[in-house]
Amino acid sequence: MLRKEQNDLLTQTGPGTPGGRLFRSYWLPALLSEELPENDSPPVRVKLLSERLLAFRDSDGRLGLIDEFCAHRGVSLWFGRNEEKGLRCPYHGWKYDVTGQCIDVPSEPEESGYCRKIKLKSYPMIERGGVLWAYMGPKEQVPPLPEWEFATVPDRQRFVSKRLQECNWLQAMEGGIDSSHVSFLHRGDINSDPLFKGAKGNQYNLADARPVFEVVESAGGLYIGARRNAENDQYYWRITQYVLPSFTMIAPRGGHSVHGHFWIPIDDENCWTWSFDYHPVRDLTDAETAAMREGKGIHVKCIPGTFRPVANKDNDYLIDRAAQKTGRSYSGVEGFGMQDASIQESMGPIVDRTKENLVSTDNGIIMARHRLLRSIKALMNKGEVPPGVDPVHQRVRSAAVVLPRDQAYKDAAREALMACPGVAPASV
Amino acid sequence: MLSESARVTTAAEARFRINEPNSKPRRVKVIALDRASERVVKHLAQLAWSNASFFTASAFAGEPPGHGFSMPGWLSDLAGRTKDLLDEVNSADLVVMVATAGENAQAAALIGEACSLKRVNTTGLMLGGASATDAMLSKTLYQLRPWSLMLVIASGEDYIEDMLIALRA
Repeated sequence: MLRKEQNDLLTQTGPGTPGGRLFRSYWLPALLSEELPENDSPPVRVKLLSERLLAFRDSDGRLGLIDEFCAHRGVSLWFGRNEEKGLRCPYHGWKYDVTGQCIDVPSEPEESGYCRKIKLKSYPMIERGGVLWAYMGPKEQVPPLPEWEFATVPDRQRFVSKRLQECNWLQAMEGGIDSSHVSFLHRGDINSDPLFKGAKGNQYNLADARPVFEVVESAGGLYIGARRNAENDQYYWRITQYVLPSFTMIAPRGGHSVHGHFWIPIDDENCWTWSFDYHPVRDLTDAETAAMREGKGIHVKCIPGTFRPVANKDNDYLIDRAAQKTGRSYSGVEGFGMQDASIQESMGPIVDRTKENLVSTDNGIIMARHRLLRSIKALMNKGEVPPGVDPVHQRVRSAAVVLPRDQAYKDAAREALMACPGVAPASV
Repeated sequence: MLSESARVTTAAEARFRINEPNSKPRRVKVIALDRASERVVKHLAQLAWSNASFFTASAFAGEPPGHGFSMPGWLSDLAGRTKDLLDEVNSADLVVMVATAGENAQAAALIGEACSLKRVNTTGLMLGGASATDAMLSKTLYQLRPWSLMLVIASGEDYIEDMLIALRA
């Protein structure tokens, strides 16, 4: 459980909130590159950390992320014309560049310099790894550019998707580090999903349904190790990475790609679930990419032209009670992503953690909250840079390994837990 | 028309959730396995807890047999009163064993065996993870791991307090 004030601190991320200040220490995934496919392409509405913004790519390819509304009469600039190095409001023709600086007010004499006195709030945005990243924090504290491994491999080795999740970011993220739910909610899918099946590790998973967990603090967050018995007096370890504030990376299976998530607050009752798959040493196959587009693995099929899942709360997640009854699907909801989302959204927009009853296997969640609260406090009271900002904290990998029983996985798998260009992931 | 799932997950509907206690108190027994951990546990014990009680087995770690160690007296409360392990485990819902990296955690075997016998869950908590060498970690892990159904290696002592609060101790 958390006290109400702790829950508020972690779940509120709007402007002026301590939780929002934490998120504003990082480069956050804001859009897929394909959402702004070319220079002067239509602008896109973006809501992040409870602020309504507009993203566009100008005539020179420069990226802008600015206040959505025109300074003149409050019109949404989504209706604007993206042309000649700026975005022009269609109402009275006021025009803005990518920094939010007004560069034309047609009704005022150009010589008056009136437009120079108008500037919309804007945030820097950069492109890396098929993702447009935004930094919404203080100008004087811009962090180093993101170095998550998936964003640094060649395009053909990576697939990234995003989907709307209709609940607070924290309950969504906590699902990503709650390793003990896999044996229930996702039971049955490991051996059938094309992006997971066939791995030797799956056999260990199925043979030992009572994993033992070890939670270890890391520099950027924590490792959550789940161990199962393996042959020859060894353990099979699946090690999940959590890096503050909301990055998780799940252990790979066999020769399949590595994958993980970011959970980014849209507002306090909605978030973006970002899902990435990549392979450090090979291209993804056409079959793999097609499966990801079809919503296999950790990805989700969305309503065409939107990022809202096809299965969503409005259609009861297309739950199949017959499949649930016969055991074809443990939850009755199809796909890992929507199995998670349906459960997490059912908790309500912001789950009341004063009522929960955590158990010992929830220590990963307890530790993540502990680190988040500690980081918020250190940032607000002492200005300390939080974990996860340093690129070293971002150059991590999850791993699946078989180790002798007496070894600490943090040490025995030290190299496997670090991103190393050109080196295959540790996977079983 | 909104689906059931859409309607019931609104903030407005959250107001109608039943507001009654949904659990009974669970008893958590916290046992320090070495002197360094005992200091941390003594500090914790001064805070207000509903369902937590605190013990030390540090005599087991520091005193080899023949140097003041006595089998009946190896587990005690923080006031030094001898306690019977099986009695304590019998009345526990969770036993938390606190150890320090590099220290002797051999009492974990006795406690873990008793918990296993009584079907009580165990959590091993190792402190000093950030500053410990690999050898120190391995030494304590070797003793703690077989008897911990959940093992946590924390860098700061403040984690235990947060964990116990989270578990409603």
